[in-house]
Amino acid sequence: MIEQILLALPMAIVVIGAFALMLLSHIKTIKLRNMNLVSLIFLAISFALSYYRLGNNATPFLFVDVFGNSFILDDFATLFDLMFTAGAILTLLINHDYFKNRTYFNGEYFALILFSVFGMMTLAHAHELVTAFIALEIASLSVYTLVGYHKNKNSSSESMMKYMILGAMSGAFFILGTAMIYGAVGSTSLTDIATYTHSHDMKEMKLLIVGASFVMITILFKIGAVPFHSWVVDVYHGAPYPITMFMASTFKIAIFAIALRLYLVDFTSINGFWTQMLQAVTILTLLGGSWLAINQTLLKRMLAGSSIVHSGYLLIALSSIGLGSELAAPAIMFYLIAYFLSSVGAFGILSFIASKSKKQMSYDDFKGFAQKRPYMAIMMTIFMLSLAGFPSTIGFLGKFYIFTAAIESGQILLAGLGIMTAFISVYYYFKLIAVMYFYESDKSAKKFPINISTVLIVMMALMIIWGGIGTSLIPFVPGADGFIDIAKQAIGSLR
Amino acid sequence: MEHILTNIIFLPLFTAILLGVLKAPIKVLKVGATFSSFATFALLGVLIWHFDPQQGMQFTQRLPWINNAGVSYFIGVDYLSLVVLTLITILMPPLYVYMFHEDRKGYWYNMMLLQTGVTGAVLSLDLVLFYLFWETMLLPIFVMIGKYGNGLRQYNSMKIVLMTILGSMSMLFSILYIGFIYFDTNGVWSFALNDLSTIVFNAKTSIWLAAGFLLAFAIKIPLVGFHTWMAPAYGSAPTPAVVIMSAIMAKLGVYGIWRFGFGLFDATLSYYAPTIIVLALIGLLYYAVRAITEDNLRKMFAYSSGSHLSLIALGLFLTNVYAWSGSLYFIATHALSSAGMFIMIGLTYKRFKTVNISELGGVASVAPKFTFFFAFFALSIAGLPGTGGFVGELLIIVGAFKANFWVGVFTATTMLSAMIYIFWMLQRVLFGEANNSTQFSDLSLREVVMLAPIVLLLLATGIAPSLFTPIFEPQLTASLQEVLTSIGGLK
Repeated sequence: MIEQILLALPMAIVVIGAFALMLLSHIKTIKLRNMNLVSLIFLAISFALSYYRLGNNATPFLFVDVFGNSFILDDFATLFDLMFTAGAILTLLINHDYFKNRTYFNGEYFALILFSVFGMMTLAHAHELVTAFIALEIASLSVYTLVGYHKNKNSSSESMMKYMILGAMSGAFFILGTAMIYGAVGSTSLTDIATYTHSHDMKEMKLLIVGASFVMITILFKIGAVPFHSWVVDVYHGAPYPITMFMASTFKIAIFAIALRLYLVDFTSINGFWTQMLQAVTILTLLGGSWLAINQTLLKRMLAGSSIVHSGYLLIALSSIGLGSELAAPAIMFYLIAYFLSSVGAFGILSFIASKSKKQMSYDDFKGFAQKRPYMAIMMTIFMLSLAGFPSTIGFLGKFYIFTAAIESGQILLAGLGIMTAFISVYYYFKLIAVMYFYESDKSAKKFPINISTVLIVMMALMIIWGGIGTSLIPFVPGADGFIDIAKQAIGSLR
Repeated sequence: MEHILTNIIFLPLFTAILLGVLKAPIKVLKVGATFSSFATFALLGVLIWHFDPQQGMQFTQRLPWINNAGVSYFIGVDYLSLVVLTLITILMPPLYVYMFHEDRKGYWYNMMLLQTGVTGAVLSLDLVLFYLFWETMLLPIFVMIGKYGNGLRQYNSMKIVLMTILGSMSMLFSILYIGFIYFDTNGVWSFALNDLSTIVFNAKTSIWLAAGFLLAFAIKIPLVGFHTWMAPAYGSAPTPAVVIMSAIMAKLGVYGIWRFGFGLFDATLSYYAPTIIVLALIGLLYYAVRAITEDNLRKMFAYSSGSHLSLIALGLFLTNVYAWSGSLYFIATHALSSAGMFIMIGLTYKRFKTVNISELGGVASVAPKFTFFFAFFALSIAGLPGTGGFVGELLIIVGAFKANFWVGVFTATTMLSAMIYIFWMLQRVLFGEANNSTQFSDLSLREVVMLAPIVLLLLATGIAPSLFTPIFEPQLTASLQEVLTSIGGLK
C-alpha cells in the first residue's frame, strides 16, 4: 500500500497542492508572490519525484484494487509528467512579475494551473478511456477558465467562449467514440481494447473503427490540426501571455501523450485505416498553418499559426507509425521535447517583456530590440532558429528524425512537403530576427536583468544549443544523443 | 597533428566566444580576431608542410556525435579542400587589416563566426555535419548584409537567406533520403561520405537525389536562372562580406558539386552535364552583358564573378584533365583577384562614398598607387597573361576544345567579353575627367601592405604555375580517372 502511494505521489502532490491553493486563495492577505512560491514548491517536489522515477523499467498499474487497470506508471508517462511539471514551473517562474501591473489576477490562477497539470498527468497515466476523458476534461476546463482570466477584456472572454464551446463539442466526440468502442469491445480498458484489436479482423471491427475515429477527431481538434484549427489563433491571441505560453508549450504536448498511447498500443492493427485521412489532414495542416503564420503581424498570432505547422510535422510522424516506421514514435517524443524547449523559451521571452509593458507586440514593436536588449535578442534568435529547424539547434534534430521516419515509411512526398513548409517557416521566424537586428532603436541599451526569469530563459537557450550539437560527454546533461535515448526508452516502456 | 583540422575550424569560433563572454572592449576584440586569423594561418602552414600530395584524404578525424542517427564528426583534407582552405585562411588576415577602423563589435564577431562556418563546410566529410556548417555560414552573412549593409539591406538579406535556404532544404531532403537508402541496404545509419559513396543507386532515384544537391549548389554559385539574389546582395553587403561571398562562398558551390556531387553520384552527373554546360555557357554571356551595362561597381563585379563561376562550373562538367585542373586553378586565382577587386571597390567607397561608375573618374592623375592596384586586380580578373587567372582560363578553354569544338569556340569568344567591360570600366573610372567633388587620398601604407600579398600570390600563380600544380595534380588525375571509369561503366 505504501509502495503504491509512493508511486502515485507525483500526481498526488500536484492535486493536493491544487486544493491547498484553492483554499489559500480565500485568504486575501496572502500575497500573490507567496501563492506563486507555494505552487512552485508543490510542482518542484513532483518534478523531482518524477525525475527520480525516470529510467525505471517497471510498468505497474496504480491501486489495482481500487481503480482496476485505469492508471499505469511507465517511463512514457513519467517523461510527460516531467514536461508538464517543468512547463508549469517555467510558466510560473518566468511570469512571476506578470501580475504586478494586472489587477485581474488572484489566487485561483495558481490553483487552476495545478489542476490542469494534474489533469494532464492523469491523461498521460490513463490506461482506460473514461479515465482519459475525465483527465482531458479536468485539464481542458482549467485551461478554458485560464484563457478567459482577463474578465474585463472582450477578446479574452470571447476566446474563452470560442474555445469552450468548440472544445466541449469535440469532447463530446471523445465520449461518443468511447461509447462505441465499449459497444464493440465490452470494456474501455486499453488492455482489453488492445487484445480485441489484435485478435480480430479489420472487417469485424467496424464499430470500433468508427468509435476510434471519433476519438481521433477530438485529438486532432485539441492539437489544432486543420480543419479543426479555427480556434487556435484567436484563443492564443485572447489569452493572457502566461496562459498562452502554458497552452502552447504544455497543454499541446499532453494531447500527444494520449494520442501516442492509443496509436501505439491499441490501434496498431487498425491505424492503417486512417493513414490516408491522416495524410490529407497533415497536408492541410502544414499548408493552412503556414498560411496563417505568414499573414500575421502580431507575434502571438504568428506563433499560434506556427504551432499549427508544428502539429503538422508531428502528424507526419503519426501517419508514419501507421505505415510501420520504427523511428517515428521516438521521433515524435524527441520533437515534443524540442518543441517544448523552444516554444517555452519564445513565449517566455514574450511574456517576460509583456510583464513590463502592455503592448500587443507586433513585429514592429521589436524594431531595434537587439540594441535595447542585446542578450534577450540573442536568446530570442536561438529560439526562433530552433523553431525554424536551423541546424545546430535541437529543433533541427527534431525535424531530422521526423523526416527520416517519413522517408523510412515511404511517405516521400509528405516529407518533401514538410521540408517545404520548414522552408516557409524560415520566412516568418527570420522576419523576427531581421526586425530585431536590422533596425535602429532610439532607446539606449538596457542592462540585462539577472533574475530568475532571465536565468531560466538563458538555461532554455543553452539546452537548445546543447541538444543540437552537444555530445554525451557531460554526465547528467543529455546531449543530442541523450534526448533521443530518453525518447526511445519512453516509447519502449509502452505496453 | 590529430586535432589540427579541428583547431583550424574552431579557433575563430572559440576566440569569438571567449571575447564575447569576457565582454572584450573593441580594441582587444580587434587584436583577438586578427590574432585568431594569423594563428589559423600558422596552423595551415604546418598542415601544408605535412601534407602529402600523393595521398587522398588526410588528417582525418572521426568521432561519434549522434550515434542514434549514425551522424559523426568526420573531417579530413585532400587536394581539393586544401585549395579552398588555403584561400579562406589567406584572405582572412587582409580582411581584418581592411576592417582596422571598424568600431562596430558585431562586425568582428560575425567575421569570426563566418570563418568557422566556411572552414567547417570545406573540411567536413559527413553530410549532416556539412549541412550544419553550410547553413550556419549563412547566419553571419544574413546579419552583415541586414545590419551593416546599405541600400535595401533588410530586403536583400532576407532574399539571399530565403533563396539559399530553399536550396539547402532540397539538399537536406536528398541527404536524408541517401542516409535512408544506406540504412536500408546495410542496416545501420551513416552519413559519412565514404560510406555513402558505396551505395549503388537505381538510375531514377539518383537523378532526383542529385537534383536536390545541384539545386543547392546552383543557387550558391549562382548558375544563370538561380541568380536573382546575387546582384542585390552583393550591392548591399559591406565589403568584407562581399569578399567572402564572392571569393569563398560562391566557390563552395563548385566545391560542393565536386566533393558531394561527383563523390556520391558521379555517373548520374553526366546526365545533368549537358544542361549545366548550356546553363554555364549562357551564364558566361549573360553575366558578361549585364556587367557591361551595369553602372554600380559592386554589382558589375557581382556579375563578373557570376560569369567566371559559370566558367569554373563549365570546366568541372567537361570532365577532362585540362578542364579540371583549370577549374581548380581558377577557383584559387579568381578568389584572390576578386577578393582584391572587392577590397579596392570598398576602398573606393570609403573615399568617394559612391561606387557608381558614372560618378567616378580621373583617379589616375591623383592616386598612382591606387590606380596600379585597381588596374592590376581588374586585369587579373579579365585574365591578363602573367596573372594566375590567365592560366586557369587557358586550361579551361583548352579543356573545352578538347571536349567539343563548338563549346570551345563559344567559351573562348565569351571570355573576350570580360576584356570589354574591364577595359571600358577602367577607362571611365581611372581616366577621364577628374571627380573634383571629393579630395582623393592615395593608398596608405597599411592598405598597400594588406594588398601586396594578394598581388604577389597572383603573380606567382601566373608566372610559375609549376610551383603549385604538384600539390593537387596527382590526386586530381586519380579522382578524375575514377569519375571517368564510372561514367564509362554507365555507358
